[in-house]
Amino acid sequence: MRHPIIAMSGISKTYGAGDSAVMAIKEATFEIFSGETVALLGPSGSGKTTLITMVGCITEPTTGKLILNGELVYDEKWCIKDTRKLRRENIGFIFQSHNLIPFLNVKENVTLVPLLNGISDKEADNRARDLLEYLGVGDKLTKMPSQLSGGQSQRVAIARSLANNPKIILADEPTAALDAERALSVMQLLKKLSLEQEVAIVVVTHDERMLPLFDRILRVEDGYVREDFLRREG
Amino acid sequence: MINLAQRDIAHSLGKFITTALGVGMLIGVVLIMIGVYRGMVHDAMIVPHDISPDLWVVQKDTLGPFAESSRLHEDLKYSLKGFLGVKEVHPLTFQSLQIPQGKKPIRVFALGYEALSGYEPFTLSAGREIQVPHQEIIVDTKTGFKIGDRIPLGRELYTVVGMTHKAVSSGGDPMVYLDLSEAQELQFLFSNEQIRNDRTRGGNSASTSTVNTFVLKLEDGFDPTGVAKELERWKHQEVYTADEQATILTKNLIERSAKQIGMFTVILLIVSSVIISLIIYTMTIGKMKEIAILKLIGAPNITITKMIGQQSVLLGVLAFIGGNLFAHASAGIFPKTVILVPTDAMKLLVIVIIVSILASLSGIRTALKVDPASAIGG
Repeated sequence: MRHPIIAMSGISKTYGAGDSAVMAIKEATFEIFSGETVALLGPSGSGKTTLITMVGCITEPTTGKLILNGELVYDEKWCIKDTRKLRRENIGFIFQSHNLIPFLNVKENVTLVPLLNGISDKEADNRARDLLEYLGVGDKLTKMPSQLSGGQSQRVAIARSLANNPKIILADEPTAALDAERALSVMQLLKKLSLEQEVAIVVVTHDERMLPLFDRILRVEDGYVREDFLRREG
Repeated sequence: MINLAQRDIAHSLGKFITTALGVGMLIGVVLIMIGVYRGMVHDAMIVPHDISPDLWVVQKDTLGPFAESSRLHEDLKYSLKGFLGVKEVHPLTFQSLQIPQGKKPIRVFALGYEALSGYEPFTLSAGREIQVPHQEIIVDTKTGFKIGDRIPLGRELYTVVGMTHKAVSSGGDPMVYLDLSEAQELQFLFSNEQIRNDRTRGGNSASTSTVNTFVLKLEDGFDPTGVAKELERWKHQEVYTADEQATILTKNLIERSAKQIGMFTVILLIVSSVIISLIIYTMTIGKMKEIAILKLIGAPNITITKMIGQQSVLLGVLAFIGGNLFAHASAGIFPKTVILVPTDAMKLLVIVIIVSILASLSGIRTALKVDPASAIGG
């Protein structure tokens, strides 16, 4: 039987209290499995970012239950003490504007997380070289982020997100800063990675053109999360 | 493991070095202030060291001759010589003078001594001692005069016959040395008009047979404190040992100046600390996005704390090195003596490191509060 890598059950998030309280996410319940690519769609302010930060254990939910990789992470309170370690070991992040550390070169940006996880320098170095080679930026090892194009930076960011062998990759509009051709190339790459490395990839996107590449679509509207069955049937 | 502090500094090396050198100049000023204090103590002891007596005899109830005015009759020396244990007695006068040097007058401190007694209260660096007790003068190199130069003083024209090097008074004025009788005239002889006026009033003008102090050398085996007690008892004058005079000079005479410098140094240290804190805080604020990313990808607090702390300490150490270089490069251009002591520098380094660590705390506190979600944009 397949076990979900992400399991949310009745998760809600309320900001503020009393009359000024705003419920950003309401009773979200869904499961995402290894190797799946899931799009998170919704208008601005619908709660997509709140949802993705709760999956990434950055924002603490108000109620509900969250299980990541079979481990109970949140059940009305954090069940694990070190959420940062959990992120470091299980989750990769890709951002809209690549968000590479500007004072580290390409290789160091990729090796940072494995090194923080206690991987040896040599092993982290080899993994970074392999990933960057695989993503077509193997010749940029010693370049600084400021010396890369947008597409190259995003590929390095993808390499960084994969460097810790994550079970989950959370991507926040990874193609927003790229032209159509590069955006398609990055999405195809993510799709390929999810299949080859059995990684669950959740992508926040506004780009409807990319939807055919996703296995499932979750729509977030007014804090409610609904599966877009129409997309699946189509 | 990648050293984030080192990488960040290397990424903006010019900015970091410029900032460190800016702070370094402040630290340099702190070092110079300490050096000025050391210089004051050093200068205050030059003349007593050159005179090197066992005892100082000065006017009753005064801290003379440097800290307070002191006047004694010159003929007291004969009775002082008769005391058991007293080997030599030398009368001395001291006075501040302003003498012309080119177009600008300079202040000097004149010491009058018995030139032909064989006693030399100075160390010559060039020329000779005074051989004719008339119109000859020994000056310090700091006055700018050379051997053979002629200096108008009072009613006479003096010829420079000898030079000393770095002999200054406690106030930092260069020393000049004259024969006692001429120094007495300079200090105590009134103008002809004043003498005429005094005679008209039926009084006498003050005698020039006055000195400011007697310095005594004792026979071997005599305790200076014991002889001083005897002299005080029988001659009704104040008598200080060499150590007591040194204490008067370093504690009483320059105490206020030292406190002033001390206060200024403390204020400078506080200003430096505030500036280091602000710089570290600003540097941290400028890296908020990177810190949020680091937290998001799972970097533990210790990694972020180390990055800010190491940068802060490195900034402090670099500023200290720059400050030291600045202090040593500029110490020579100050008009008064500046003495830079390595132990002072080491103590300041410890203070700078402590200040840097404390300064980094507000930056670290802010960094640890950064919401990693801000890296996502939500």
